[in-house]
Amino acid sequence: MTDNLKVLTKYWGKINPLRIEDYICVGGYMALEKFIFKMNPEEAILEIKKSGLRGRGGAGFPTGDKLEMVARNSPCGVNFDYKIIPTSRDTPQGKKYFICNLEESEPGTYKDRLIVDNNPHLLLEGIIISALSIEAKKAYIYINGNYEKQKEILEIAISQAKEKKYWGENILGSNYNLEIEIYSGAGAYICGEETALINSIESNRGEPKIRPPFPTEAGLFGCPTAVSNTETISNIPWIISNGGERFARIGSKNSPGTKLFILSGAVAKPGIYEAPTGINVRKLIDQYAGGIKKGKEFWFAQIGGACGKLLLEKELKAKMEFCVGTGRDLSVQMGSGSILVVDKSVNIHDLLISWTDFFRRESCGKCVPCREGTFRLWEIAKRFRDGKISDRDKTAVEDILWTLDNTTFCPLGKFAGTAFRDAITKNILTF
Amino acid sequence: MKQKTIQSIILEFEPKSENILPALKKTNAIFGFVGEKEAKIIAEYFDVSESKIFETTSFYDEIKTEKQPEILIQICNSANCTVNNSFSIISEVENLLKIKAGSSASSKFKLEEISCLGRCADGPVMVVNGKIYERVTKSSVHGILGEYI
Repeated sequence: MTDNLKVLTKYWGKINPLRIEDYICVGGYMALEKFIFKMNPEEAILEIKKSGLRGRGGAGFPTGDKLEMVARNSPCGVNFDYKIIPTSRDTPQGKKYFICNLEESEPGTYKDRLIVDNNPHLLLEGIIISALSIEAKKAYIYINGNYEKQKEILEIAISQAKEKKYWGENILGSNYNLEIEIYSGAGAYICGEETALINSIESNRGEPKIRPPFPTEAGLFGCPTAVSNTETISNIPWIISNGGERFARIGSKNSPGTKLFILSGAVAKPGIYEAPTGINVRKLIDQYAGGIKKGKEFWFAQIGGACGKLLLEKELKAKMEFCVGTGRDLSVQMGSGSILVVDKSVNIHDLLISWTDFFRRESCGKCVPCREGTFRLWEIAKRFRDGKISDRDKTAVEDILWTLDNTTFCPLGKFAGTAFRDAITKNILTF
Repeated sequence: MKQKTIQSIILEFEPKSENILPALKKTNAIFGFVGEKEAKIIAEYFDVSESKIFETTSFYDEIKTEKQPEILIQICNSANCTVNNSFSIISEVENLLKIKAGSSASSKFKLEEISCLGRCADGPVMVVNGKIYERVTKSSVHGILGEYI
């Protein structure tokens, strides 16, 4: 496999995103036709399982497994023990849901926005196939409230696809039915977490829920629900057309496929690049983003958004993967795929405030360790900038970081201190 | 008159609980915030308690529970914009308008630090009354605010 294989970005800039005909001309919706006329849902899920596709939102959960779990669960509380308390009075019985997660508010990440900007029908085709494979009758697209233009693009794409009978009743003359609805978020980072997202569609506070039950058993309105990231879903048409085994041969073994990497900060050509997984950070910076910007000196890189780890120059050979530590080579959890290159002219105290302020603002307040921990870290970061740091603060930082890491309710809190901790342990910040 | 409008807004939505958030967003878009009066009418329409409406409203950044100042300035201070000097723009605006970020002391201006809007390639990003400005610099900020003051 070559580095040039493009699964997601192949037609970016080459087709008009507002015309479904353009997409059909380049073989669009062929995967959907293949799925409907030549496959059954189990076969489609098997292909996705074979492909080894992992969730591109950051956690890297195997997508095929997730779809299979939902496909196997009978709708609404029949074959499992958890007692379901319907969150809505009008819980529809006998339904399953598919949700496309387009919340995307990870700092430094805008890959999903560009997928919609450049090729919305690819996403739509993926959504339709995934939803039909788990026998969902309704698919939601949960879109970030700020993405108004993208919402319009999707609305156009959805209405065009409906005219061509790619969704709706009796899709392409078959017995499949599907409804698609766009649901716009209202500005909350935590709503990218699947249970919080489900809460938000139910018009509750967007706080995460305790698991189990997992959304695959009892999700939206108490029904089995699969929530997948936009980029993940956009890989599905390729997998259905070309087969899971071919996909599994691309990139890294334990997290195959290509990935959109977002390079920003002090690089010559900031932007989004599609590359096979398992690529190392240095190659991405040097070969894709044109190296470090002239006149800047590399300091460290942050991988995977606000909760990402920091890499020093000597660690740049780390491979971008989802399962870290399984191979012999050094690898780093790629998260959302963003790489922020920080040069030596940046004020580390500002950056520290930026990280901590972000989590303070976005902590939903449901659990105390996260609500208080993120707030106190932010206060300490401010004292740090003002040169008023005390010995007590230094010991407190250790305590807070431990508490965040071990006791918070959801991953937001767990990773809120990652960058802070790395800054200390890697001597980027001197106490 | 106002009461009539809020009712016409919510009538667009089926009285199902999942429509509460869209209805709140719409109300917020038209009135600028969701006040007690509106909350009461929305609660009645959806047949839920007023506290439930407040619970949802207060959670989301995009929906406000209080009247907003005339000019709301928001500047992204997430890591990517920070690397592109968004803090110097924040202090420039603070000095220019003699306000502090996050403070509601002035009834005319409010400066908020916000999270990523997904425009990291074109940072730093500033939003004034909903209008987004990209690649803001310390000097261009004067011209942008000049349009509003």
